Amino acid sequence: MLWGAQIVGVVLAIGLAPFFMGVAQTVKARRQGRHGPSVWQGYWVLAKTWRKETTVPEYSSWVFRLAPSMSLAALLLTVLLIPWSGTVPSAWPHDLLAVFFLLAFERFWVGLAGMDSAGTFGGLGASRIATLGTGIEPAMLAAFGVLWVLSRQTAIQPLAPALMRQSLGIIPWGLAVLSYAFVLLAETGRLPVDNPDTHLELTMMHEATVLEYNGRFLAQSQLAIAVKLTAILGLGWIWLGPQLATPWANLGLRLVELLVSSVALGWLESRSTKLRYFQLSTYLTMAAGIGILAFYLVSSGGLN
Amino acid sequence: MKSITVEKIEGPQWTHYNSQQKQAGHQLLALTAFQGHRLVCHWLSPDGFVTAAVLHWSGLDFPSLSPHLPEVAFDEREIHDLFGYVPKGHPDLRPLMRTPRWPADFYPLNGTSQFPPNWLDTQPDNPAKIVEGDGVTVMKVGPTHAGIIESGHFVFSIIGENVLHLDLHLFQNHRGVEKSLEGLALEEVPRLVSRICGADTVSHQTNWAMAVEQLAGYQVPETLRWERVVLLESERVLCHLNDLAQIPAGVGFQVAHQRALAMKELWQRGLLELFGHRLLFDTVQPGGAARVEVDSLLKLIQTMNKVWHPWRNFVEKHHGFNDRMTGVGLVRRDDAARFGAVGVAARAAGLNFDVRTLMPLYQNLTIPATKGGAGDVAARFKVRLQEVESSWRILQIALNHLREAPAILRWHPPEDLSGEIVSYSESPHGLNVHVVELEQGHVRRYHVRPATFRNWPLVAMATAGNAVADFPLINKSFELCYSCSDR
Repeated sequence: MLWGAQIVGVVLAIGLAPFFMGVAQTVKARRQGRHGPSVWQGYWVLAKTWRKETTVPEYSSWVFRLAPSMSLAALLLTVLLIPWSGTVPSAWPHDLLAVFFLLAFERFWVGLAGMDSAGTFGGLGASRIATLGTGIEPAMLAAFGVLWVLSRQTAIQPLAPALMRQSLGIIPWGLAVLSYAFVLLAETGRLPVDNPDTHLELTMMHEATVLEYNGRFLAQSQLAIAVKLTAILGLGWIWLGPQLATPWANLGLRLVELLVSSVALGWLESRSTKLRYFQLSTYLTMAAGIGILAFYLVSSGGLN
Repeated sequence: MKSITVEKIEGPQWTHYNSQQKQAGHQLLALTAFQGHRLVCHWLSPDGFVTAAVLHWSGLDFPSLSPHLPEVAFDEREIHDLFGYVPKGHPDLRPLMRTPRWPADFYPLNGTSQFPPNWLDTQPDNPAKIVEGDGVTVMKVGPTHAGIIESGHFVFSIIGENVLHLDLHLFQNHRGVEKSLEGLALEEVPRLVSRICGADTVSHQTNWAMAVEQLAGYQVPETLRWERVVLLESERVLCHLNDLAQIPAGVGFQVAHQRALAMKELWQRGLLELFGHRLLFDTVQPGGAARVEVDSLLKLIQTMNKVWHPWRNFVEKHHGFNDRMTGVGLVRRDDAARFGAVGVAARAAGLNFDVRTLMPLYQNLTIPATKGGAGDVAARFKVRLQEVESSWRILQIALNHLREAPAILRWHPPEDLSGEIVSYSESPHGLNVHVVELEQGHVRRYHVRPATFRNWPLVAMATAGNAVADFPLINKSFELCYSCSDR
């Protein structure tokens, strides 16, 4: 039953990723007074892009052609590592640090792709992604560190129950959640850090790195973005998520949680403007600072 | 309108005379070249008098004003491109609208060039001014853009995320409007003038109408004056609503963007119903203007107010949005004055210039002064917010006058009208000037100096020193018209 629930969970997380993205888009459209496209639009776009001709810039190398598969592969692996059904079989790999490095690996390839496209927008996007990464990583490590302190291991699986068991104080818990929420918006490239819907090349971060892609490569990048959002949202629910008795119930709960967080994301983005680029360092320092504070409170026995 | 004083200037006195006009606080209306080696510089004094400084010379070279009056730098480049006259001493005489495809002896307005020319088969790019050095990247944006906007090519020299220099390559779609207008009969002109620009069309049409009426000595009856005020202000509201919608889009504030676009659409549908055109094309002619149903427009303004105030409240209180606008894209007051900035950009920088205060059309109205001051994106946004509301107030006053105004008979200009005149109005983008020379009822020379033409150099100046990611926001805060410049 453990195996079954986790496998179904992984398949659903990947399969429904464009849907959750669509939900966030629909919420945004409604907040803007528009109908917006259907929540299933992501699938049509993927199918359309996949069927289109694939071309590559004249001055690009094998790096450009390899990058979409590498970043998509890294994110698919990340999805595998997340305990979608709460508890995973002991033979199933699940490691927080592995998630951390896979996300860094993905960012690395996206940056390379941007630079290898030999366009100035790609280069600018790559530079911004790398700069953002230096801020995201400490913040993410600090937030993950809280879980490590609580469970004394980097495996993801037992963490949520451990959290419940230890009934840690609301303040470090809240700080860790806040820190992760900041990181989530930065890592998935949503407002107020990056605007996924913009057509203004000069303001783009992630989008600028994939500007030169089309056809199958673009489809891979689009799927990667959707999968990344689902993976990072799903991981986030470890902090919040109550655990139910059976794996199947847990999986069902997780899907509901993903739906709720997609709606919340769309709502939050509707209220935000994009931050100034030079203020992102403040934003990320704040995220890391909050995470480190939570880490310190938990590791020193803090408020318990 | 008061008559024009003509001053004949000798070559050596040309720069001195015009610099003195500027120092005396006069506003440059237009620098116009004519066939036969003649230049006319129209100046508007603060009390509404127009002086035309005329320069005759022989040969191709004439003394450039640009080192003393940077605001005519574009004008002189344009004259160089279209007439082949050479402003001697111009610091940057690169082509403005000319491209390498034009044959060397092709100067469309000099009267001797062959039409159509034998276009040369070569790349159309003009040389760009860039910064060179370690760590400097040159980034080219456009002329084709991702949004539905017109063709502008921007060459950025950036170091890291900072803009060192922005070189503008506009005028990509030169349409030869001035050339096309030459030789047209009076009744053929409005259709073309109406289409110089989609955003300032009423202002362009009104300029043509006023030019003809002044030449013919026609006294504009009060009814017609109010009708034109209604059209001009309706256009200002439309244009400002659009610009107010675009600024939030520059920072990803989609909710404010879409809600403002919805307001603009509401207003535009009202205009379609009232005047028969969403952009108010073909609404003003010499001796006439589109009639308005007073009550319908008043009702539309009321409807607009119901959506306007919640929106204004929403954007003014949004912290993130205001933070993005503050201190970005700064135009200092001195620079605005030096470069002859007009319209919203000038008023936001603290220059209190609105040519409506000098127009006979608005003689019974007080135009409220807008508070800008800081000269940044936030100031330009605020000036527009105030101007939309003051336009609605002016509309209400004008409509109340129109309710009691007597109907008038349509006047037609005499068919053999001749003469040379300058006319100006405040378009949504600022001071808009037409210089018209008629001969026996046909256009001999038509020069259009639209507001955006003056403000484009300011965009480049305001961008340098900012983060490159802020450029869309800065550009949208000016929201200048390409079409006006591609004339």
